Amino acid sequence: MNDPILIVGGGPAGLAAAHALARVGRRGVLVDKADRLGGAPILSGYAKLVPSGEWAKDAIGGMVERVRADPLVEVHTGTTVRAFDGSPGDFTAQLSDGTAVRAGAAILATGFTHFDSLNKPEWGFGTFPDVVTTTQVEQMISSGRGVRCPSDGRKPQRVAILLCVGSRDRQIGREWCSKICCTVSTNLAMEIREELPDCHVYIYYMDIRTFGLYETKYYWRSQEEFKVKYIKARIAEVTSDGQKLIVKGEDTLVKRPVTIPFDLVVHAIGMDPNVDNKTIASTFGVALEPHGYLARGNSYGNMAETSRAGIFVAGAATGPETIDDSIGQGHAAAISALGLLGAARAIA
Amino acid sequence: MPIHEKELIRPENLRTHEQLTVDGVDVSGHWSTFIQSRVVTDYNEAMQDEIAALPGGEFIHRCWQCGSCTNACTVNAVNPDFNPRFWIYLVRVGMEAELLRDKDIVWQCVSCNKCTTICPRDVNPEGVMKALSHWLELKGHTPKSPSMVFDEVFADQVIRRGKIEDGRTIRRFFERTGQALQQDWLIEMAKRLVRHLPVGLLARLGWSAVIAPRTRDWSRARAAIEEYVHDQHAAQRQALGLDAAGGASTTREGA
Repeated sequence: MNDPILIVGGGPAGLAAAHALARVGRRGVLVDKADRLGGAPILSGYAKLVPSGEWAKDAIGGMVERVRADPLVEVHTGTTVRAFDGSPGDFTAQLSDGTAVRAGAAILATGFTHFDSLNKPEWGFGTFPDVVTTTQVEQMISSGRGVRCPSDGRKPQRVAILLCVGSRDRQIGREWCSKICCTVSTNLAMEIREELPDCHVYIYYMDIRTFGLYETKYYWRSQEEFKVKYIKARIAEVTSDGQKLIVKGEDTLVKRPVTIPFDLVVHAIGMDPNVDNKTIASTFGVALEPHGYLARGNSYGNMAETSRAGIFVAGAATGPETIDDSIGQGHAAAISALGLLGAARAIA
Repeated sequence: MPIHEKELIRPENLRTHEQLTVDGVDVSGHWSTFIQSRVVTDYNEAMQDEIAALPGGEFIHRCWQCGSCTNACTVNAVNPDFNPRFWIYLVRVGMEAELLRDKDIVWQCVSCNKCTTICPRDVNPEGVMKALSHWLELKGHTPKSPSMVFDEVFADQVIRRGKIEDGRTIRRFFERTGQALQQDWLIEMAKRLVRHLPVGLLARLGWSAVIAPRTRDWSRARAAIEEYVHDQHAAQRQALGLDAAGGASTTREGA
């Protein structure tokens, strides 16, 4: 009954779950395939997070340090789970580093994979060096180098951010809204305007989904304080005239085609299901939902359930998710796992 | 099935050549009419800042194109081409040529301010319409509208004298808008005034018309107002990239 709980994935959700378990005295074994903890915000070098504005390396880095320093959490990086057998309260996991772990329950916090813009070749990524992704712009900012055109290092005078790249697109089998790209893009647009006040930033959108309280701090503020311009157009293609990138599309509000020169084009890339989800599903014997994310068991009665008893799920493994909600779900998965194992009574 | 795109063809974009040969093929005459491209090839990025520099246009950058202003609009109900939402968009993204197509109807705004009260983002669309008319005039795209001329005549008098003399206002307005002073309705009104007004009042009216009275100790107030107006006009012209001269309307009236 005192077996640890296996946590797969050391991003915000997994770190939160491990910390929550440790706080109530439960041991956790945290496994991550990457060679360090932190998940997407750390591995992809995010800059300032939504909605706190804290730097990712401080906020998520702090969560990593907290877990690293905790004697109740055993960390295996560069490691995957090869096999997982047993029943609730009595599972055994075989790790790729040769360790066998007895676990009472498992929490899958396996996250997502950034959309690869090469899958939308018409928007120029991989063809023109000055077509980049939101992740690359995050890295330009977090590295301190600033937003520059990769081709020659110049400061862009005009930037286009294309929304819904790898989201809401049946052509490439991605019907979902990735939920955070609108807010991330408005945030980056403001960062660009702050660093380069003479640079005009245009956001090409189908809809703007800066949901909930993000409306004021991101969408409204980007227009009212930072004069970011929003053009309702789904871009048809990004080409080049040899000097500038040429963004082509239809401005639907004016019913006119546009071909506008830009220095830098940014793809607001979406969140794909983790590329390893099929392996994860077969290893753990859990079901995937139709988009390829891990399927939730019960949305209301018990939090964080999967299709298999004793295995819980948290964060972007179940679909596009924000960092703060992933952290909340990590806590929820921890309490569900403890509840299953009767741990609360055992401690009392 | 009707072709919807046909509506998008504008008469001014049709090109027919009496004599034209392309790659050895004779394409003269009506049967080979060409349609000029509708593609917008660049944005005028100065435009939003220019409108924002004029009174009423300050909050144009807030607009998110919900269309509440156009839905509420008194003039739009009569003339569907009068579309504040559309013009705000054109200014925001800098489609100057598209905006200039509507330059002759922008001034039709009746300032009912229904748009102002309904706008969820406090853009003040009515103010934007004023700023837009003003911008069109300053840039030389449209002549001054009659109501603008009247406002100037009126304001000029107040600034010069601290008072209005109606006869002078009417005379100046007609003069500047090229209208004859001998209007039937005006003559009739004058006749009736003479017939019905007390003699004392008539005498004062006549006296005022001749000597054009001014408010006592007005000169300092006038100087302050003129300086302010001059500065405002100069700032606006500078924001629009125009030379400072030709600004203040107060300098144009004779006496």
